[in-house]
Amino acid sequence: MTALLSIRDLTVTYRRDGGEVAALKDISLDIAAGERLAIIGESGSGKSTLALAVAGLLPASARVDGRIDWFLRPPPPLGAKAPPSVLPDISPSRGEIAPSSRPSPISRIAGGEPAAKLPISPLEGEMSGRTEGGAKDRRPSAIATDYGPLGGRDIGFVFQDPSASLDPVMPVGKQIAEVLYTHLGLGWPQAFAKARTLLERVRLPDPDTALHAFPHQLSGGQKQRVAIAAAIAAGPKLLIADEATSALDTIVQAEIVALIRQLVSEDGMTLLFISHDIALAAELAERIAVFRHGRLVEIGAARQIISAPRHAYTRSLLDAHLGLDAEPLSRQAEASP
Amino acid sequence: MNPLRRFLRTPEALAGAVILAALLTMALAAPLLFPGDPQAIAGPALLPPFQDWSLPLGTDRLGRDVLAELFHGARTSLAVGLAAAAAALVIGAVIGTLAGFAGGLVDEVLMRITDAFQTVPSFLLALAFVSVVGPSLGVVVVAIALGAWTGPARVARAEVLSIRERDFVAGARVIGMHPLEIAFREILPNALPPVLALSSVIVAAAILTEAALSFLGLGDPNRVTWGGMIAEGRTVLRTAPFLSIVPGLALVLTVLGVYLAGEGVVETTAVRRSLS
Amino acid sequence: MSSPLLSVSGLTKWYRRGGKTIAAVDNVSFHIETGETLALAGPSGSGKSTIARLVLRLVEPDAGRIQFDGEDFLALGGAALRSRRARLQMVFQDPLAAFNPRATVARVLDDPLRIHGIASRLKRPRRIAALLERVGLTPDLAPRAIHEISGGQRQRVAIARAIATKPSLIVLDEAVSALDVSVRGQILHLLLDLQREERIAYLFISHDLGVVRAIAHRVAIFDAGRIAETGDARTVVDAPQSAIGQALVAATPRLNRA
Repeated sequence: MTALLSIRDLTVTYRRDGGEVAALKDISLDIAAGERLAIIGESGSGKSTLALAVAGLLPASARVDGRIDWFLRPPPPLGAKAPPSVLPDISPSRGEIAPSSRPSPISRIAGGEPAAKLPISPLEGEMSGRTEGGAKDRRPSAIATDYGPLGGRDIGFVFQDPSASLDPVMPVGKQIAEVLYTHLGLGWPQAFAKARTLLERVRLPDPDTALHAFPHQLSGGQKQRVAIAAAIAAGPKLLIADEATSALDTIVQAEIVALIRQLVSEDGMTLLFISHDIALAAELAERIAVFRHGRLVEIGAARQIISAPRHAYTRSLLDAHLGLDAEPLSRQAEASP
Repeated sequence: MNPLRRFLRTPEALAGAVILAALLTMALAAPLLFPGDPQAIAGPALLPPFQDWSLPLGTDRLGRDVLAELFHGARTSLAVGLAAAAAALVIGAVIGTLAGFAGGLVDEVLMRITDAFQTVPSFLLALAFVSVVGPSLGVVVVAIALGAWTGPARVARAEVLSIRERDFVAGARVIGMHPLEIAFREILPNALPPVLALSSVIVAAAILTEAALSFLGLGDPNRVTWGGMIAEGRTVLRTAPFLSIVPGLALVLTVLGVYLAGEGVVETTAVRRSLS
Repeated sequence: MSSPLLSVSGLTKWYRRGGKTIAAVDNVSFHIETGETLALAGPSGSGKSTIARLVLRLVEPDAGRIQFDGEDFLALGGAALRSRRARLQMVFQDPLAAFNPRATVARVLDDPLRIHGIASRLKRPRRIAALLERVGLTPDLAPRAIHEISGGQRQRVAIARAIATKPSLIVLDEAVSALDVSVRGQILHLLLDLQREERIAYLFISHDLGVVRAIAHRVAIFDAGRIAETGDARTVVDAPQSAIGQALVAATPRLNRA
């Protein structure tokens, strides 16, 4: 198992009404290639800020300290027509890259070894700088910036509200084809053919009709399937789902979670699943990171977090969960004086 | 950053604010600087500007002080422009809110009336109204408002149609609030911002309409107006063009100032909204 | 035998969409006793939220009867309906959307007291303070704007507004769905306290069977505008008989704590 990205001492501050609000404080964690990691927390925990920071989508007004190092293959030269990143990564070389889209607020651009490792990381052994490729593949930092992950190509992002992330006046087939045209350099006919395949993969009934449908003609669950198709279209390494099922009802949520699980395993994608629902996270993820007030409370294997939480806050989250086996509150209240 | 400072940061808004401030000062200072009747004879007729420093902008055909007339004219222009625009906004907002909130037959009737007013050119409407009722300051204000309320009414109605579907309106009904209170206390204040954004255009148009009415001799005869001054100067346009040019320039600057300041306000509030 | 607090029979609401007529609510009947919680559960689009709006007369039904407090609720209109609304209140899912964006805490609590003449102008501030304390908030919150306070505080204010007129029934439309789990537990306990002390009945609309099982006495599971199954909340959730009930239970995420 190798690391896909490593976050070190990440602090994100928003300016609001003259004051500064730290949304994330000193976060360090590693995401392994191919793993399913869930970030859970309540509102204000900073879990969505983490998703945006990893995707390089933070607003320009946010101040970012610390570093996010990616371990991606350098992309081919600009303008290449061949699909680059869908090919399997045979021998990943290392580039240490800060999130590229917004160069200015990143404090340090990695030039040498990754920063000190934390004991919580299961990837310790992999991170010691001695991987395939060696020093000759290491690029000077100025160039390394150009190899940063590209939103849409290397990172797929699924938002909570599919109505807001899809263009309301464009047929959904075209929206998916656009991703393929832009990132894989496909011609329009091929892009549309691949879009149809993708709609089939996300199991939309009648993909031929769906290709020409507008978002408002689809149900909430169907729209989220389209958003997932667009997110995975360019064959990203990392799929980020930020509360992607929170606006859906229980049955549709279960279907979407099953779909995400299947797509991630088929394509060998890494999954970052952001959720407020600890039970849902435990069903889908291998590891769970618990966030509170912008800090990482604890991280561990899903089974360990659920059955043997180390932190009192995690225990309180588990106790507050109302499962199908919970004692009814009314009877609890009647029982206690 | 506070809104006022952000407003003054934009160059257009700053220019507009400076012009409006100058205009307001003129209007307020007129009775102090030029006490007495501005329409009284002050010197020889048709004195060109910058000849006699007691009459810096010269005199008109009847020997009246042009500078005094200009200052007093600013009072009329601003008063009529602001009053007419305010009246148009109030009428428009109330009718738009009623139509949008009540729906059904009330909406249908009110909007057909709005259509009727909108199909008649507003200037013709004002002209006809003043000709029938007779020229006076109040009548001119009503005449201008009559042609200007339809825009605010349509914007207010569209806004109200979307706001009345929101949960807080349902919440107001659930606690048993009277429909009129819901319309005017819950919905209208939230529908106002886009309606108020129209105000700069309406004030500018009202000032121009007032000038045009006065130009045609339908202004209040007891008051100096810029439109009236231009009309006066028209007869001696070849020999004394300044008599038309001076009030004409004042008019252009005023409309420009109102428009720029209004745009600045809209811009600032738009930024604030997108931030929140 | 006395008649139930609320009884609904044959309630039907049609919606026209793209030339087709769809029944959002199709011949639905149920009843709620004083001090009882009836949950309406079901997938989105099953008509459970339309039921809430029909019962509150925010939308008018196409057919059916609603009997509330021994009165034909659908026959009421104008001032009579407005005065009866004091007995039948609602709490919305999103407490931010449920209040006028310009309102303060004091104003949203003042409105019901003023409209129903519950307290004179001079006595209202005391009454508002008491309401805030009743829902576990401090009276110094009163002058604050609604958008300044936290989501949990807002939902407590919404409950305070709902109980201001001493209602006998409160419709809770996904009232805890948008809250953090820790806050959700506190709000549910508050609702149970109020029910025990004031004998308030709840019509509790939720898609979350875990919450339904925890708070409701009885549940009606909706599917496509009809009641698919109804019964004791615990019995139905533990062993659903209808296909939709079984699908909902199967789809609910489980915590397997060792």
